Amino acid sequence: MSDETKSTETVDLWIAGTEESQFAPTDEGAQEISAEESESRLDAQFGRVVEDDYLFDEVVDDGERMIVNMGPQHPSTHGVLRLQLELEGEIIRRSKPIIGYLHTGMEKTAEGLTFSQGTTNVTRMDYLAPLHGELAYCLAVEELMGVEVPPRADAIRILMTELNRVSSHLVALATNGMDIGAVSMMIYGFRERELILDFLEKTTGLRMNHNYIRPGGVAADLHPGWKDDIAVILEEMPIRFAQYDDLLRNNPIWLSRTKGVGVITPEEAIGYAITGPALRATGVDWDLRKAFPYSGIENYEFDVPLGSKGDVYDRYRVRVDEMHESLKIVEQVMDAMPKGDYRVDDRKVTPPPRARIDESMEALIHHFKLFTEGFKVPEGETYVAVESPRGELGCYLVSDGGAMPYRMHTRAPSFANLQALPITMADSLMADTVATIASMDPVMGDVDR
Amino acid sequence: MTTSPSDTDTAAHPLQEYADSVAEAVGGTAEIHFDTVKVVVDPSNWVSAFQTARDRLDLVFFSWLSAIDWSNEVAAGDPLSEEVEERFEVLATVGDLTEGNRVTFSTDISKEKAEIDSLVEVYVGANWHERETAEMFGIQFAGHPDLSKMYLPDEFIGNPLRKSFPLLSREVKPWPGTVDVEAMPEGPSVENPEA
Repeated sequence: MSDETKSTETVDLWIAGTEESQFAPTDEGAQEISAEESESRLDAQFGRVVEDDYLFDEVVDDGERMIVNMGPQHPSTHGVLRLQLELEGEIIRRSKPIIGYLHTGMEKTAEGLTFSQGTTNVTRMDYLAPLHGELAYCLAVEELMGVEVPPRADAIRILMTELNRVSSHLVALATNGMDIGAVSMMIYGFRERELILDFLEKTTGLRMNHNYIRPGGVAADLHPGWKDDIAVILEEMPIRFAQYDDLLRNNPIWLSRTKGVGVITPEEAIGYAITGPALRATGVDWDLRKAFPYSGIENYEFDVPLGSKGDVYDRYRVRVDEMHESLKIVEQVMDAMPKGDYRVDDRKVTPPPRARIDESMEALIHHFKLFTEGFKVPEGETYVAVESPRGELGCYLVSDGGAMPYRMHTRAPSFANLQALPITMADSLMADTVATIASMDPVMGDVDR
Repeated sequence: MTTSPSDTDTAAHPLQEYADSVAEAVGGTAEIHFDTVKVVVDPSNWVSAFQTARDRLDLVFFSWLSAIDWSNEVAAGDPLSEEVEERFEVLATVGDLTEGNRVTFSTDISKEKAEIDSLVEVYVGANWHERETAEMFGIQFAGHPDLSKMYLPDEFIGNPLRKSFPLLSREVKPWPGTVDVEAMPEGPSVENPEA
């Protein structure tokens, strides 16, 4: 082409930073990362009670610092977590997680739902471990009502929640791998998770948000042939786990990206109330399945895997080991599965069997009333917590004697774990941000509720 | 009130002894609700009770903090069956990570002056829980470093978990379960007979 075709028009050059700012200083409002002078605020953010092991202590001129917004749409934020990072070169000096993008007011919603409708609500909180949310809620309702569920219902609950733990940890591994560049791990993790979700779907009817564990038992018995499906899972999974070790544990890049990164000390973990694998990776032996056993989990033998350094690598190892332990529990439950009913024989909470509805008017009315009006729960309050894949998932339930809870508060493990991100990431490298976030395994539905 | 018949006969409850010892140490009264040890303290003792719990009773682990709006007028959900004293009840659960002790502390504050001292100095993990409670109930935590909104937009007015706050989605569209007869697909419907 000749020179004549070139555009000769003059273009107004736009140079960033020269225009007049419309916002003073930014439009972040109250969510603006706090100004440098408010040191007390920073102390609290970094944790005055706990001492952090800073990697880099020298402070460069403040003018060299830059604030970077990360998310809420960043693929490694596992949903819609937003971070404001204050960088000094490659080093994160301060950070502030901003949450609330998935807030749907579930605690308020719960006050307008009957106790039997409540499971539909809580199952949508932690969408990677929905059965644990249902279990905590149902245990609280049953405690208030004084309902004892039959042994088979307990065994099914343990079977399903432990399978759910494996599927949730598989997502954690997969996304953790993807975030650090081990993309094949992403594909394998989700592939194996599907094996478990298929099992959950066969019994509950849904891949996620099952609404399967109900006050008084579970919604349906295990599907015919469940033992064969479990046998396949028990046979396949250890082989796949060994493949993950080839992909990750024997991968020098993975090791150098995870070892010594995002270190949390036991004091920090306890101070910030971190629970679950992130706490156990620091070496603190605390598992609610051992400390406050629920649904007869004390009858099964399993170990609580612990880490020692509290870095990203230890959190990854604890999750892998926990999956092995969960499969051990699943195998024991399968062998010892009691016969009997899968829900309590108490007409107050249990709807009549489907066949009865066809032949009995009273059964139909009973069914209708249970699902429209719900059942009344005696006055009282209780706090029940279960060990979800992310930590202590608790439900504080207050009933005033009606069919709806007066107050339901969920102690969300991701919420507390995420709170410790600023201190975990302070004075670490920018490139390790995604590794640290992924290793905490936050589920934003659980954080925001 | 919150005590139910099953709560009152706790004479032989295995946790009674522990609950009493905690209550004595912090200067409160012990209640046992099922397996939950609850110690009611005075709002002026709120921070010192946790200081004692952390330092002397080894309850180092801060689990959660939230509140209950005890109100006779509710805009969403069922009203209370009995009349109660209008108040906020602030609750926080702490525990240890060795013995398996877990205590829920509770205190009542008035609605007119919904303010209580912050626990951030004692348990740093209380930070976000207090922010959440401040946003949802409008309770001020004196001494908290940053009570800015965490879930809702800055311009949002109201405290959603207060009982006086209506659940707007239910005002606009009634819960489907409350309409038990639906109109046939064709022909006049109940809401709109002309159609």
